[in-house]
Amino acid sequence: MNTILTVFRKEMIDTLRDRRTLMFMIIIPLLLFPMLFRVMFSVEKSQSDKAKAKKLRVACLSQGNASRFVAMLDERDDIVVLHAVARDSLSALIRSDSLDGAFLVASTFDEDVADLKPGRIDFYYKSTDDRTILQNRLRETIDRYERELLDERFQRLEMDASIVDAVDLKSHNVASMEERVGKSVGGMLPYMFILFCFLGSMYPAIDLGAGEKERGTLETLLTAPVNRFHILLGKFGVVVMSGLLSATVSIAGLYIAIKQTSQIPPEFMELIVKILGWDTILLLLSLLLPLTIFFAGILLSVSLSARSFKEAQSMISPLNIAVIVPAAIGLIPGVTMTYRTALIPVLNVSLATKEIIAGTIQAPHLALVYGSLILLAVLSLYFAAWWFRRESTIFRS
Amino acid sequence: MIEVRDVTKTFKLSRQQKREMGHSFDGNSVDAVAGISFTCQPGRIFSLLGPNGAGKTTTLRMIATMLRPSAGTIVVNGHDAVRDPEGVRASLGFLTGSTQLYDRLTPRELVRYVADLHRVPRDVFTKRRDEIFDSLDMGAYADRRIGKLSTGMKQKVSIARTVIHDPDVLVLDEATAGLDVIASRSIVELVRRARDRGKTVLFSTHRMGEVGILSDDLALIHRGRLLFNGTYASFTAEMTGATLEDEFIRRIEGAHA
Repeated sequence: MNTILTVFRKEMIDTLRDRRTLMFMIIIPLLLFPMLFRVMFSVEKSQSDKAKAKKLRVACLSQGNASRFVAMLDERDDIVVLHAVARDSLSALIRSDSLDGAFLVASTFDEDVADLKPGRIDFYYKSTDDRTILQNRLRETIDRYERELLDERFQRLEMDASIVDAVDLKSHNVASMEERVGKSVGGMLPYMFILFCFLGSMYPAIDLGAGEKERGTLETLLTAPVNRFHILLGKFGVVVMSGLLSATVSIAGLYIAIKQTSQIPPEFMELIVKILGWDTILLLLSLLLPLTIFFAGILLSVSLSARSFKEAQSMISPLNIAVIVPAAIGLIPGVTMTYRTALIPVLNVSLATKEIIAGTIQAPHLALVYGSLILLAVLSLYFAAWWFRRESTIFRS
Repeated sequence: MIEVRDVTKTFKLSRQQKREMGHSFDGNSVDAVAGISFTCQPGRIFSLLGPNGAGKTTTLRMIATMLRPSAGTIVVNGHDAVRDPEGVRASLGFLTGSTQLYDRLTPRELVRYVADLHRVPRDVFTKRRDEIFDSLDMGAYADRRIGKLSTGMKQKVSIARTVIHDPDVLVLDEATAGLDVIASRSIVELVRRARDRGKTVLFSTHRMGEVGILSDDLALIHRGRLLFNGTYASFTAEMTGATLEDEFIRRIEGAHA
């Protein structure tokens, strides 16, 4: 035990002094979410402010009809209304951003409205995501005008406006806010944790395996009166610890990001803070522990096979896909925890985390997830130990 | 004492290695060392000589239990290399020219790490470390990161690491390779001091000058087989070449004939 701790302590010091490993293990997981949130929200806010502040150029060809609607448009300070635009060029002008929109009032509009028929107005616009705010601003006027016309009609016909509602449908979603958030946002959390767990383990594993071989320091360990399995366990401990540390730091990063973001509604924020409580985090970490041991076994085995740091990197990079794909499948709506999915590594952690956050996890499923993960962790440790004993692995050249 | 008896090391070849061996080679394995025997006595320096690829490093790695012999026995200080590898390693100090140091540790941390791996009691360790650091004049840089030290300083750290557990047997594989005269001198002094203290010293080198000034016993290995095994005095007595180097080349070329 002392030997394992000696190797662990030394490898931990060595790892924490490596800037590259530190970057992947702590700095990136800690800063990613605060930076991502800050950039995302500030870009969104600036785009939305720009769209709201922009003075719109709108063509309105009324052909002498809908005078009240035209007046409504003319009254608005945030819109420049152009009345003399060729009808044929409307689409082209909007497409080239010379106009933000156009209204074409039918020549029979007033007549149709007087006959209680729908009066036709064609609304031309260019639909892209960043222009939604512009369209909404133009629709406001149309909606207001339509409401006025409807009120007039109901008055004229001496009818109550409520008769148009034949069914009064009131929806009641019995799912708690926690469940709803758990099933939606909850899917993203395990994806991030698993990814950071893997990334956090990756660089220490490369450094402690291939890196040590490449630097020519492995002989110091191999000529010490220490069981090779104990050496491996010491290294294993550091890789596992790094993965868990990375995942935990990413949770802290997410927490900081949420706390510093003022745009999140308070009730939603309260819920997220509740989700990120100690009990949930400990439960998640207990799932991540066997998964990280599984990762560590594979990563160290691959790393020890490689002749150099660079070779190990190129051998391990494709494994990212093997982690990302099942983790991402867990995000797909409809993919749920079953006895079968509980046995698929990575996917089972992703789904179990989602269910834990939503508070809907079933004990047999959770037991199966733990069982399969612990079995895989033991197998991967056993394989790494066998691999580390092979001369052809250690002295591969 | 190191006793090597009829030791063979066979390496299975990968497909790529077989291709690299050329068309004339049709086997699946190669004997890096084939049935060699020699004994290194305490209080004597044993030199293992041979050209590149002769089997020196494989032999020394088997003695250090990093590689397992395919046949034969190796006994180091009474410990069998196969049955009791940890016992062998406990009595061994191993230093090679290719073994590097942990750049991110300080000499003090590295030496403590090695001592902990060898389970040296703390009070013994502290006394021994201070003695070694004083004798090698390492005090000024004992707390600096190894990566920032000069080659000569690193060499001294390597020596400190090798002897911190006061091993009875020292194995040095091309330990002076790539070092300048001053740095090599610290290795030569280490070897001499160890012999004077009754330790068993086995070292391999290319430098004939070192062989001449250090060797008590000598073995010449080529293509995994011993061409000579005896005392340095008997080697020089049989010499027909003008210098050690000439004799070395003559014997190697003689083996090809």
